Amino acid sequence: MVELTIDNQRVKVKEGTTILEAADKLNISIPTLCHHENLTPLGSCRLCTVEVIVDGTSKLTTACTFPVEQGIKVRTTSRKALEARRLAAELLLAKCPTSVKVRNLAKEIGVDKPRIKVREEDCILCDLCVRTCREIVGRQAIKFINRGLNQSVEPHVDLSPDMCIGCGSCAYVCPTGAIKMEDKGDTRVIHGPKWEIEFKLKKCKVCGNYWAPEEQLEYITKSLDLPPGFFDVCPNCR
Amino acid sequence: METLGIYVPRLVTKRQGFTPGHRACSGCAEALAVKLVMKALGRNVIVAMSTGCMEIISSQLPYTSWEVPWIHTLFENSAIVASGIEAGMKALNRKGTSLPKAKVVAMGGDGATFDIGLGAISGAFERGHDFLYVCLDNEAYMNTGIQRSSATPFGASTTTQPAGKVSMGQSTWKKNMPAIAVAHDIPYVATACPSYPFDLMDKVKKATAIEGPTYIHILSVCPTGWRIPTDMSIRLGRLAVETGVFPLYEMENGKYTLNYDPPQLRPVTDYLKPQGRFRHLTPKMTDKIQQRVSAEYARLKEKAQ
Repeated sequence: MVELTIDNQRVKVKEGTTILEAADKLNISIPTLCHHENLTPLGSCRLCTVEVIVDGTSKLTTACTFPVEQGIKVRTTSRKALEARRLAAELLLAKCPTSVKVRNLAKEIGVDKPRIKVREEDCILCDLCVRTCREIVGRQAIKFINRGLNQSVEPHVDLSPDMCIGCGSCAYVCPTGAIKMEDKGDTRVIHGPKWEIEFKLKKCKVCGNYWAPEEQLEYITKSLDLPPGFFDVCPNCR
Repeated sequence: METLGIYVPRLVTKRQGFTPGHRACSGCAEALAVKLVMKALGRNVIVAMSTGCMEIISSQLPYTSWEVPWIHTLFENSAIVASGIEAGMKALNRKGTSLPKAKVVAMGGDGATFDIGLGAISGAFERGHDFLYVCLDNEAYMNTGIQRSSATPFGASTTTQPAGKVSMGQSTWKKNMPAIAVAHDIPYVATACPSYPFDLMDKVKKATAIEGPTYIHILSVCPTGWRIPTDMSIRLGRLAVETGVFPLYEMENGKYTLNYDPPQLRPVTDYLKPQGRFRHLTPKMTDKIQQRVSAEYARLKEKAQ
């Protein structure tokens, strides 16, 4: 067990927990955007910035990625931390002013209007969809392309959209609505910021409803070694 | 949302506001509904709950299943207590006490919502308090031994209206509670079922984001009272939606949306047959139920266009 101080409150947590989890134990809320409890932390949005004092020297770090150490002092609402958070929120707001989630988060942190030029994009490059595809689904259908200003989320270039099984997890996890999923009749369309993939949905042999993309069922059949024809009937009719 | 498949459930939070280890019957879909509601609500929430199954099973002294501030109220006044909490927080904020932002939620069973607490709910909706009312509808007073309520559907056998030589079970139709909530001109009303978990969580999240009174009606299958095997509760929730007995819809500022609209509805017998409380129904009565369900579904579909 490791003992640390967060906002003058002492807390004992297991080794390896992050500051964010330790703060959660004390009911101290730190704003997050790119963090998801079931995915590995990345620290790309910088909204969870806190001030950490180790051996008397203070530094700014992201609470979601910093593993706790014995005797450190964490300040979640110090002037330095709040200023860094405000700047991060302002940049996010300038990039994606239409998203309700980003707007609400920025307002919570104290930013109403960005001082810099607004770019009006949907994707904020939080990496949630990429991590979900890799860790939850076990595929790598989407990934980051380019670096710096031109960075974007795109389907894997070498492997074509065949890598995608159309499960829609990326659309579910997307905080800004940059990835959207739509089921219409026998097709499912997933729109990304710069791409669009169509899937054929499988028809149930009994009720005739379209219920899941064929690629997804093929992938599950293959990875679980199920007999062919296992998914001819939808779960409701089985 | 319901066609999302098997990967998305792994993204749902593992943190529970309503912990397991409570004393609900096996197969209780109502406990599942509360669990899903609490997952969607998160931590900053104050719950006021009427007497009923969920209060009895979750809070037997000295134990509790609740990880959030929770107040047990009398049968009729969960909406009143919720309004009081909301008004109190507003007053404290006005006086300069800095309180963390918390959403107020009132919960009650169908007895507390349809019968005993209806006046209190109506008052809270009319005063426009910022709270969410969740009705957990298992279609009778299950906690005290399956007495009929005004949520009991036509033909169902209950202990106070048992089917036999003289009576054929419940003789009246189910009260349309979501329509009563809509009539108060509140910003959001929705129906949900734990058999469609993403739809339910989505609606709860949507309702909490809206300021003003909101109402969510959740059909919670009760294996004990409906006389079904315990492994059938999720299945029956799905059948209720697929047959059109309990359509999933939401009303947002006067605009209706049907969330699940299959190309063709199943016959209601699919839903009635597995249930012991409908065992005595004659074909004539099932026809009557089918007609009523089809007519109501058509009416709803017209509104949703």
